[in-house]
Amino acid sequence: MRTSLNNIKIIDDYLLGRMAPEDLPLFEANMLLNSDLSDDVKYQQSTYSIIRQYSRQNIKSEIKAIQETLATAPEHVGFMRSIGNLFKMY
Amino acid sequence: MIAMNNNRLSTVKEREDFFMTLYKKTFPVVAQYVARMGGSLEEAQDIFQDTLVIYYEKKVSEKGGIIVNENAYLFGIAKRLWMRRYEDDSKNQLLNDLDIEDVPEERLADGKILHYLETAGKKCMELLKAYYYDNLSIINITTLFGYSSTHSATVAKYKCLEKVRETVKQKSLNYADFIE
Repeated sequence: MRTSLNNIKIIDDYLLGRMAPEDLPLFEANMLLNSDLSDDVKYQQSTYSIIRQYSRQNIKSEIKAIQETLATAPEHVGFMRSIGNLFKMY
Repeated sequence: MIAMNNNRLSTVKEREDFFMTLYKKTFPVVAQYVARMGGSLEEAQDIFQDTLVIYYEKKVSEKGGIIVNENAYLFGIAKRLWMRRYEDDSKNQLLNDLDIEDVPEERLADGKILHYLETAGKKCMELLKAYYYDNLSIINITTLFGYSSTHSATVAKYKCLEKVRETVKQKSLNYADFIE
């Protein structure tokens, strides 16, 4: 793998807690001395947060699609009616 | 170690069956609760959507564990979400408040940055989602995405990560330019 990808991999291992314990002190010292590295770590951490937000939106769309199917498909009419009735009782 | 026990939820179809089953089984109980508390059908649906997202994340996470009573567990999440909704007014904060993992302190402008992810491409984002969010094994990912080997899947994953990180970096720098 090319060097820049290795940098990604090492930070990945670090942030996901998979770095060998003996490598940790050196990596953390490097972060203190090298601001480019510590910036990369920060950006990569934000990247994971973005992946999570993107993924969440996707999963939520899949769930909304299920709701849509339930609301429209003929085979679910009975189920949805019984749900609807719950809200008429109160 | 990443849990590899969630490979039965690796395709849209598999997840669809999974969510549909949960809807049929648990949504009536949640809807009844919300109705009794004076809520609407729409509110019950909102709550249940978030409940399923949280449950899905729990299920595929490394700390997933075994959930003995799925129904009771889901109802528990839904109830907590309902109570939170009326404790704070910030309805849109639901999922963020209940984050299972710790969210990094640095919050980016979600909508904006997500928009820029187009640059990384959909396949890249799907690949990253499969690995980091769905927690699928690299072997499974290799098959699902049609890579020739686990090595090429791994390299592709790092390349995608690099692309998105580059976007984040540029956007953050631009943002810094604005505020300074």
